[in-house]
Amino acid sequence: MPVILVLDDSATMVMSLSHILKGAGYEVETGMNGREGVTKLNDGIKPSVILTDLNMPELDGIGFIKEARKIAATRFTPIIVLTTESGGRKRDEARAAGASGWLTKPAEPNQLLSVVKQLCPTK
Amino acid sequence: MPDEIKRDPVAAMQAEANARMVCAILAGQVASLRERMDASESFDLLWRTTALLSWLSGLLGDLSCTRPHANEVLQRERAEAIAEVAEIRRALDALAFMQTQRQDFARQIADCVVTALERLAVAETPPGQNFSLSDLKALYVSDDQRRVHESVEQRCCGK
Repeated sequence: MPVILVLDDSATMVMSLSHILKGAGYEVETGMNGREGVTKLNDGIKPSVILTDLNMPELDGIGFIKEARKIAATRFTPIIVLTTESGGRKRDEARAAGASGWLTKPAEPNQLLSVVKQLCPTK
Repeated sequence: MPDEIKRDPVAAMQAEANARMVCAILAGQVASLRERMDASESFDLLWRTTALLSWLSGLLGDLSCTRPHANEVLQRERAEAIAEVAEIRRALDALAFMQTQRQDFARQIADCVVTALERLAVAETPPGQNFSLSDLKALYVSDDQRRVHESVEQRCCGK
Protein backbone atom coordinates (compact mmCIF):
# COMPACT_ATOMS: atom_id res chain seq x y z
CA MET A 1 0.00 0.00 0.00
CA PRO A 2 1.50 3.42 -0.91
CA VAL A 3 2.49 5.58 2.05
CA ILE A 4 1.55 9.26 2.33
CA LEU A 5 3.34 11.42 4.89
CA VAL A 6 1.04 14.13 6.32
CA LEU A 7 2.47 17.09 8.26
CA ASP A 8 0.22 19.64 9.98
CA ASP A 9 0.30 21.25 13.42
CA SER A 10 -3.46 20.83 13.82
CA ALA A 11 -4.27 17.40 15.28
CA THR A 12 -7.81 17.57 13.86
CA MET A 13 -6.47 18.41 10.43
CA VAL A 14 -4.05 15.46 10.60
CA MET A 15 -6.88 13.13 11.61
CA SER A 16 -9.13 14.46 8.87
CA LEU A 17 -6.49 14.05 6.16
CA SER A 18 -5.63 10.56 7.45
CA HIS A 19 -9.31 9.57 7.30
CA ILE A 20 -9.71 10.76 3.71
CA LEU A 21 -6.46 9.16 2.53
CA LYS A 22 -6.97 5.84 4.33
CA GLY A 23 -10.48 5.68 2.87
CA ALA A 24 -8.90 5.99 -0.59
CA GLY A 25 -6.54 3.07 0.06
CA TYR A 26 -3.35 4.78 1.27
CA GLU A 27 -1.25 4.08 4.35
CA VAL A 28 -0.67 7.30 6.30
CA GLU A 29 2.27 8.46 8.41
CA THR A 30 1.85 11.72 10.32
CA GLY A 31 3.81 14.47 12.05
CA MET A 32 2.84 17.70 13.83
CA ASN A 33 5.67 19.83 12.40
CA GLY A 34 8.55 19.78 9.94
CA ARG A 35 11.01 18.48 12.53
CA GLU A 36 8.86 15.38 13.14
CA GLY A 37 8.63 14.93 9.38
CA VAL A 38 12.43 14.99 8.99
CA THR A 39 12.76 12.50 11.87
CA LYS A 40 10.31 10.13 10.14
CA LEU A 41 12.27 10.35 6.89
CA ASN A 42 15.57 9.75 8.70
CA ASP A 43 13.95 6.76 10.42
CA GLY A 44 13.48 5.21 7.00
CA ILE A 45 9.87 6.02 6.12
CA LYS A 46 9.63 6.13 2.32
CA PRO A 47 6.49 8.03 1.40
CA SER A 48 5.17 8.03 -2.16
CA VAL A 49 3.76 11.54 -1.62
CA ILE A 50 4.22 14.12 1.13
CA LEU A 51 1.47 16.55 2.14
CA THR A 52 2.67 19.45 4.27
CA ASP A 53 1.27 22.57 5.87
CA LEU A 54 3.44 25.72 5.72
CA ASN A 55 2.95 27.43 9.07
CA MET A 56 4.12 24.97 11.70
CA PRO A 57 6.19 25.36 14.88
CA GLU A 58 9.82 24.20 15.26
CA LEU A 59 10.39 23.65 11.53
CA ASP A 60 7.93 25.15 9.05
CA GLY A 61 6.85 23.68 5.72
CA ILE A 62 9.50 25.47 3.65
CA GLY A 63 12.24 24.37 6.06
CA PHE A 64 10.93 20.81 5.94
CA ILE A 65 10.90 20.75 2.11
CA LYS A 66 14.51 21.96 2.02
CA GLU A 67 15.55 19.23 4.50
CA ALA A 68 13.57 16.53 2.67
CA ARG A 69 15.29 17.43 -0.60
CA LYS A 70 18.66 16.81 1.05
CA ILE A 71 17.67 13.22 1.92
CA ALA A 72 18.43 10.84 -0.97
CA ALA A 73 15.21 8.82 -0.59
CA THR A 74 12.96 11.88 -0.89
CA ARG A 75 14.98 13.99 -3.30
CA PHE A 76 12.35 13.46 -6.01
CA THR A 77 9.30 12.52 -3.90
CA PRO A 78 6.30 14.71 -4.78
CA ILE A 79 5.66 17.24 -2.00
CA ILE A 80 2.30 18.98 -2.00
CA VAL A 81 1.80 22.08 0.14
CA LEU A 82 -1.66 22.25 1.73
CA THR A 83 -2.06 25.63 3.40
CA THR A 84 -4.25 28.64 4.14
CA GLU A 85 -1.62 30.77 2.37
CA SER A 86 -2.60 31.65 -1.19
CA GLY A 87 -0.07 34.40 -1.89
CA GLY A 88 2.26 34.21 -4.86
CA ARG A 89 5.35 35.07 -2.81
CA LYS A 90 4.92 32.09 -0.48
CA ARG A 91 4.16 29.87 -3.45
CA ASP A 92 7.38 30.93 -5.18
CA GLU A 93 9.29 30.35 -1.96
CA ALA A 94 7.86 26.84 -1.64
CA ARG A 95 8.58 26.06 -5.29
CA ALA A 96 12.16 27.29 -4.92
CA ALA A 97 12.56 25.04 -1.86
CA GLY A 98 11.42 22.05 -3.93
CA ALA A 99 7.62 21.81 -3.55
CA SER A 100 5.90 19.97 -6.39
CA GLY A 101 2.37 21.34 -5.98
CA TRP A 102 0.08 23.56 -3.98
CA LEU A 103 -3.46 23.28 -2.59
CA THR A 104 -5.12 26.15 -0.75
CA LYS A 105 -7.32 25.38 2.26
CA PRO A 106 -10.23 24.87 2.26
CA ALA A 107 -9.75 22.22 -0.42
CA GLU A 108 -12.46 19.74 -1.42
CA PRO A 109 -11.64 16.10 -0.59
CA ASN A 110 -12.01 15.20 -4.27
CA GLN A 111 -9.56 17.93 -5.21
CA LEU A 112 -7.03 16.56 -2.72
CA LEU A 113 -7.53 12.94 -3.76
CA SER A 114 -7.32 13.73 -7.44
CA VAL A 115 -3.91 15.37 -6.93
CA VAL A 116 -2.64 12.52 -4.75
CA LYS A 117 -3.98 9.86 -7.13
CA GLN A 118 -2.32 11.51 -10.10
CA LEU A 119 1.01 11.40 -8.32
CA CYS A 120 0.50 8.00 -6.73
CA PRO A 121 -2.31 5.80 -8.03
CA THR A 122 -3.68 3.07 -5.76
CA LYS A 123 -4.02 -0.40 -7.26
CA MET B 1 -4.96 61.24 25.06
CA PRO B 2 -6.93 63.48 27.47
CA ASP B 3 -5.20 66.73 28.51
CA GLU B 4 -4.92 65.81 32.22
CA ILE B 5 -2.99 62.61 31.29
CA LYS B 6 -0.69 64.56 28.96
CA ARG B 7 0.13 66.91 31.81
CA ASP B 8 0.48 64.29 34.55
CA PRO B 9 3.22 61.66 33.95
CA VAL B 10 1.87 59.44 36.76
CA ALA B 11 -1.58 59.41 35.16
CA ALA B 12 0.06 58.65 31.79
CA MET B 13 1.92 55.68 33.29
CA GLN B 14 -1.26 54.43 34.91
CA ALA B 15 -3.13 54.74 31.62
CA GLU B 16 -0.37 52.77 29.86
CA ALA B 17 -0.38 50.06 32.52
CA ASN B 18 -4.15 49.88 32.21
CA ALA B 19 -3.96 49.52 28.42
CA ARG B 20 -1.40 46.72 28.80
CA MET B 21 -3.62 44.97 31.31
CA VAL B 22 -6.59 45.22 28.90
CA CYS B 23 -4.42 43.63 26.17
CA ALA B 24 -3.32 40.83 28.50
CA ILE B 25 -6.91 40.12 29.51
CA LEU B 26 -8.13 40.17 25.90
CA ALA B 27 -5.30 37.78 24.95
CA GLY B 28 -6.49 35.42 27.69
CA GLN B 29 -10.11 35.70 26.51
CA VAL B 30 -9.25 34.95 22.88
CA ALA B 31 -7.00 32.06 23.95
CA SER B 32 -9.93 30.64 25.91
CA LEU B 33 -12.22 31.09 22.89
CA ARG B 34 -9.63 29.30 20.75
CA GLU B 35 -9.70 26.29 23.09
CA ARG B 36 -13.47 26.13 22.69
CA MET B 37 -13.10 25.98 18.91
CA ASP B 38 -11.81 22.44 19.24
CA ALA B 39 -14.53 20.28 17.73
CA SER B 40 -12.49 17.07 17.53
CA GLU B 41 -15.21 15.07 19.32
CA SER B 42 -17.77 16.05 16.66
CA PHE B 43 -15.32 15.16 13.89
CA ASP B 44 -14.54 11.86 15.57
CA LEU B 45 -18.27 11.07 15.66
CA LEU B 46 -18.60 12.01 11.98
CA TRP B 47 -15.73 9.72 11.00
CA ARG B 48 -17.09 6.87 13.10
CA THR B 49 -20.43 7.35 11.37
CA THR B 50 -18.86 7.18 7.92
CA ALA B 51 -16.88 4.08 8.95
CA LEU B 52 -20.11 2.48 10.19
CA LEU B 53 -21.90 3.37 6.94
CA SER B 54 -19.08 1.82 4.99
CA TRP B 55 -19.35 -1.36 7.07
CA LEU B 56 -23.15 -1.50 6.63
CA SER B 57 -22.77 -1.01 2.92
CA GLY B 58 -20.34 -3.94 2.82
CA LEU B 59 -22.79 -6.09 4.78
CA LEU B 60 -25.60 -5.27 2.36
CA GLY B 61 -23.32 -6.22 -0.51
CA ASP B 62 -22.43 -9.51 1.18
CA LEU B 63 -26.13 -10.27 1.69
CA SER B 64 -26.71 -9.84 -2.04
CA CYS B 65 -23.97 -12.40 -2.72
CA THR B 66 -25.24 -14.95 -0.20
CA ARG B 67 -28.84 -14.67 -1.41
CA PRO B 68 -28.55 -14.29 -5.17
CA HIS B 69 -32.08 -15.60 -5.71
CA ALA B 70 -33.88 -13.14 -3.45
CA ASN B 71 -36.89 -11.50 -5.05
CA GLU B 72 -36.36 -8.68 -7.49
CA VAL B 73 -37.88 -5.96 -5.31
CA LEU B 74 -35.59 -6.85 -2.41
CA GLN B 75 -32.54 -6.90 -4.71
CA ARG B 76 -33.43 -3.50 -6.16
CA GLU B 77 -34.01 -1.96 -2.72
CA ARG B 78 -30.72 -3.37 -1.49
CA ALA B 79 -28.89 -1.85 -4.46
CA GLU B 80 -30.62 1.49 -3.84
CA ALA B 81 -29.68 1.37 -0.14
CA ILE B 82 -26.03 0.65 -0.99
CA ALA B 83 -25.96 3.59 -3.41
CA GLU B 84 -27.63 5.90 -0.89
CA VAL B 85 -25.24 4.87 1.90
CA ALA B 86 -22.27 5.53 -0.38
CA GLU B 87 -23.63 8.97 -1.26
CA ILE B 88 -24.24 9.94 2.38
CA ARG B 89 -20.79 8.67 3.31
CA ARG B 90 -19.16 10.81 0.62
CA ALA B 91 -21.16 13.86 1.75
CA LEU B 92 -20.22 13.33 5.43
CA ASP B 93 -16.55 12.87 4.55
CA ALA B 94 -16.60 16.08 2.53
CA LEU B 95 -18.43 17.96 5.29
CA ALA B 96 -15.98 16.82 7.98
CA PHE B 97 -12.98 17.67 5.80
CA MET B 98 -14.23 21.15 4.93
CA GLN B 99 -15.26 21.90 8.53
CA THR B 100 -11.86 20.77 9.81
CA GLN B 101 -10.12 23.17 7.47
CA ARG B 102 -12.43 26.07 8.40
CA GLN B 103 -11.81 25.38 12.08
CA ASP B 104 -8.07 25.26 11.46
CA PHE B 105 -8.26 28.62 9.70
CA ALA B 106 -10.24 30.18 12.58
CA ARG B 107 -7.73 28.72 15.05
CA GLN B 108 -4.84 30.32 13.16
CA ILE B 109 -6.56 33.73 13.15
CA ALA B 110 -7.15 33.39 16.91
CA ASP B 111 -3.46 32.44 17.39
CA CYS B 112 -2.45 35.61 15.56
CA VAL B 113 -4.72 37.81 17.72
CA VAL B 114 -3.44 36.18 20.94
CA THR B 115 0.20 36.67 19.92
CA ALA B 116 -0.39 40.30 18.96
CA LEU B 117 -2.24 41.10 22.19
CA GLU B 118 0.43 39.36 24.28
CA ARG B 119 3.09 41.44 22.58
CA LEU B 120 1.10 44.63 23.23
CA ALA B 121 0.72 43.62 26.89
CA VAL B 122 4.49 43.41 27.47
CA ALA B 123 5.43 46.04 30.07
CA GLU B 124 9.04 46.82 29.25
CA THR B 125 9.39 47.69 25.58
CA PRO B 126 12.64 49.47 24.66
CA PRO B 127 12.07 52.83 22.92
CA GLY B 128 11.46 52.43 19.21
CA GLN B 129 10.65 48.73 19.55
CA ASN B 130 6.91 48.94 20.02
CA PHE B 131 4.73 46.34 18.36
CA SER B 132 4.21 47.79 14.91
CA LEU B 133 1.85 47.24 11.98
CA SER B 134 4.59 45.37 10.13
CA ASP B 135 5.10 43.12 13.18
CA LEU B 136 1.39 42.38 13.03
CA LYS B 137 1.55 41.66 9.28
CA ALA B 138 4.39 39.21 9.88
CA LEU B 139 2.05 37.06 11.99
CA TYR B 140 -0.48 36.48 9.21
CA VAL B 141 -0.83 33.05 7.66
CA SER B 142 -3.26 33.82 4.86
CA ASP B 143 -4.10 36.41 2.25
CA ASP B 144 -7.57 36.76 3.79
CA GLN B 145 -5.96 38.18 6.95
CA ARG B 146 -3.81 40.52 4.87
CA ARG B 147 -6.86 41.75 2.97
CA VAL B 148 -8.73 42.50 6.24
CA HIS B 149 -5.63 44.34 7.51
CA GLU B 150 -5.40 46.48 4.37
CA SER B 151 -9.09 47.28 4.43
CA VAL B 152 -9.05 48.38 8.11
CA GLU B 153 -5.86 50.37 7.59
CA GLN B 154 -7.38 52.16 4.61
CA ARG B 155 -10.58 52.87 6.52
CA CYS B 156 -8.73 54.23 9.56
CA CYS B 157 -6.31 56.33 7.54
CA GLY B 158 -9.09 57.55 5.25
CA LYS B 159 -7.12 56.33 2.20
